[in-house]
Amino acid sequence: MTTEHNVLGRSLPRVDALDKVTGRATYAADVYLPDMLMCKVLTSPRSHARIVSMDTSKAEQVPGVRAVITGNDFPDRYFGSGAVRDRRIMARDEVFYIGEPVAAVAADDEVTAQEALELVEVEYEDLETIVDPLEAIREGSTLVHPDMPNFEGYGFAMGGNNCTLLDADRGDVDQAFRDANQVFEETYHSQAINQGFLEPMACAANVEANGRLTVWASTQGPYQVRAQLASVLDIPLSSIKVNAMELGGGFGAKLRLAFEAFPALLAMKTGRPVKLINTREEVFTLNGPRLATTIHLKTGVTSDGQITAREAHSVFDVGAYLGAGPNAGVGHALGAYDIPNFRLRSYGVYTNKIYVGSYRASGVADMHFAVESHMDSIAHQIGLDPLEFRLKNVVKEGDANVSGASVPANGLLETIEAVKEKMSLPRKSEEGRGIGISLGEWRSGSGPSTASISVNEDGTVSLLTGSVDISGSDTSLAQIAAETLGVELDQVIVAKRDTDMAPFTGPSGGSRIVYSQGKAVQMAAEDARDRLVGLAAERFGVPSEALSCEGGRVYVQDNPPQSLTLSQLAAASLTSRSGPIIGMAALSSMPYAPVFNTQAAEVIVDKATGQVRVTRFVQAQDVGVAINPMGVEGQLEGGAVQGIGRALSEEMQIDPETGRVRNPSLSTYLMPLAIDMPAIENILVGVPSADGPFGARAVAEPPGFGPPAAIANAIYDAVGIRIKELPLSADRVLAALQGQDGDEYHIDVEALKKAETG
Amino acid sequence: MKRHLNLTVNSEPRQILVEPYYSLLDMLRDELHLTGTKKGCDEGDCGACTVLLNGVPVTSCLVLAHSAHDAEVTTVEGLATREGLHPVQQAFAEYGGLQCGFCTPGLIMSAVGLLEKNFDPTEEEVRYAIGGNLCRCTGYTKVVQAIMAAAEQARP
Repeated sequence: MTTEHNVLGRSLPRVDALDKVTGRATYAADVYLPDMLMCKVLTSPRSHARIVSMDTSKAEQVPGVRAVITGNDFPDRYFGSGAVRDRRIMARDEVFYIGEPVAAVAADDEVTAQEALELVEVEYEDLETIVDPLEAIREGSTLVHPDMPNFEGYGFAMGGNNCTLLDADRGDVDQAFRDANQVFEETYHSQAINQGFLEPMACAANVEANGRLTVWASTQGPYQVRAQLASVLDIPLSSIKVNAMELGGGFGAKLRLAFEAFPALLAMKTGRPVKLINTREEVFTLNGPRLATTIHLKTGVTSDGQITAREAHSVFDVGAYLGAGPNAGVGHALGAYDIPNFRLRSYGVYTNKIYVGSYRASGVADMHFAVESHMDSIAHQIGLDPLEFRLKNVVKEGDANVSGASVPANGLLETIEAVKEKMSLPRKSEEGRGIGISLGEWRSGSGPSTASISVNEDGTVSLLTGSVDISGSDTSLAQIAAETLGVELDQVIVAKRDTDMAPFTGPSGGSRIVYSQGKAVQMAAEDARDRLVGLAAERFGVPSEALSCEGGRVYVQDNPPQSLTLSQLAAASLTSRSGPIIGMAALSSMPYAPVFNTQAAEVIVDKATGQVRVTRFVQAQDVGVAINPMGVEGQLEGGAVQGIGRALSEEMQIDPETGRVRNPSLSTYLMPLAIDMPAIENILVGVPSADGPFGARAVAEPPGFGPPAAIANAIYDAVGIRIKELPLSADRVLAALQGQDGDEYHIDVEALKKAETG
Repeated sequence: MKRHLNLTVNSEPRQILVEPYYSLLDMLRDELHLTGTKKGCDEGDCGACTVLLNGVPVTSCLVLAHSAHDAEVTTVEGLATREGLHPVQQAFAEYGGLQCGFCTPGLIMSAVGLLEKNFDPTEEEVRYAIGGNLCRCTGYTKVVQAIMAAAEQARP
């Protein structure tokens, strides 16, 4: 066998490119069924209130209205998107935030449904509201959920409004601070942001003749939707089929059950198909975004710039429900550094506002902004070059990571060197211009993964997996299959899947598809290849080891003309002893494989207006092996631009009194446009992972981490001001340039420590 | 009440019964089932619904269907011919100018609109031409490369 790759490592067009450039790709909103009804959702106008009464009779009388549902139409059940079952799918007798669903209508068209909504009469009795997470975490604060201790899944936390607490400890932190030459303390704050996917969530549901429910969903996790839908409707999981439609961006927002239950229950009530399409306003108000995070960091440093200890206390606003698992940021409080002593705490806090969701490494991006700004700040204060200070402390192969696991071989140092060279660092820019850097770390995502591969009689192969393509992963998976089986990419058919047909797999999130699902595909392809080779060995009367599978055929290594094509073998397999060729694989988890990157931003700061413009953005990432370099670059570029948006302009403005989202539109929530962005420059570093398919590592999360810190550090380099709150908007930069102190967020660390020790 | 509307869609003359309040976007999607044109915001902010109206890119969510009476509308479905893809479509596929694909039809229509009046755009002109098209996946770098490459190919 040659070691040269044929399909792997080539920038081939995506397998779905043709469907997408011609407009034929079908998203959930594109599902049109005969007699289909349209659904609209009524939401709470109150921050926290008891529902005294509800009357839907007037709405039901509107011509064209076929059904109206309220919370009372659902089984009396709680479910959880994260660890804690704290939430009903539709409010029953109490609402906890403005925007919480209270009723839904199915009508002949959207206009009629909307008209009916306005006729649903709800009487509320207001209750006390708490919106500020830093206030909510204080002892004696108004409680969002007084019955929290009784929620299923509620574990160790401080009580009050604190619903989760993550911790990590090592060494003697207090002694290490006493031994340090200098100790630095800073507080950083990152804003609430929306995932900004272009496809508003949509869902269609229909009850089939056999009584089973079919759902067409816009989701990253069809099996997760199926399980949660079964739970809230209290029907067997096996009575639901979820069709995962083409996904118009998710970035974590579409990992779990959203509101698929509304059209589903309405379809069950009416016996007709029902479709719900979110408006853009609902994208901002119905579905969990990321909420604000405040992070206090304390770091001890020796006189030669060695970090001895770190303490981190971070407060994550989770809104009304823990919509996205425990806040993932805690471990990342160390950043890409080897720190011998640490005490890390991360608190999730309930408030009366829209529940938190996932977004491209939830919590980690917030933590990286704090850590990488803090590193820069310390470097300047101790008189070291920011890059040099980082290099003194970076984690190396063999060091223990935050959970004690040994860090395997990786390309962190290569990414630093690559960016240093490309940006000619260190260098001093002219006044008003600056360069900032940021290091990032993530781990390749794991989780249950399966694949099956059939070889067709014409020599093509059909690949079936349950994973949703969110990032070009179908193309990467097809390339892995093609490479393993020695066929061209266009010989691989990637099946469109549903939960009846495809085997279970974890959701497409956390950068796990290529690393974990890709591994399953590689193993399934190897299985199929072994069967092809075995069959050929039987026919040729030679041992399997004497054969190779390449170029669409299996041949005898010593006599290549003696060969059978895949087509001949697949045809022969139908009547062979072992039957048709099918390869299968399943795995539950993959070993720890870190991903590191280095990002650098060059900015111009307009001192008159505070406007910051990114003029260059360079990033290097250890991708292990790039299965499809063009696809990998696309992930890096898109991630970086999302990070630049988070850095400069994006902010969900939330009313401090009521928790209402004030800017639920794309003209007020400002995402980057082509005219604002530089061309992103990428360097792919390749230190293969030990276990990933062909050595690949995860790609998609890390590029979004660094831009906020890199840009904040560049602003410091340009004009000498340190901004610790996101976004780095013109008004905030201008205020800082005018000498206004931006430090407006304070965590009472002593009180938190006291609460912990009792 | 629905009223008659005459227009040409992708070179085909159509007579359609449409509600007076329907946008061109809703008419294309709900009445003609030309679902390649996407609804990302319905407020003219995202550009996913861009079509050519008498050759000029417009956000079809902001155009009333009946105001397109007698007009010529081109959607993403109308670009490819029997001979193959439009050069802009081809370039988007080849240069990786698409990921999730939801903004892609709108971006492609904006690019086609640009190249119909400017064969030789600068990178800045390309970025301005797609300045009304939000894309969350690509970061625009490869989208711009694709349009520049398509321009080069389309130049006489």
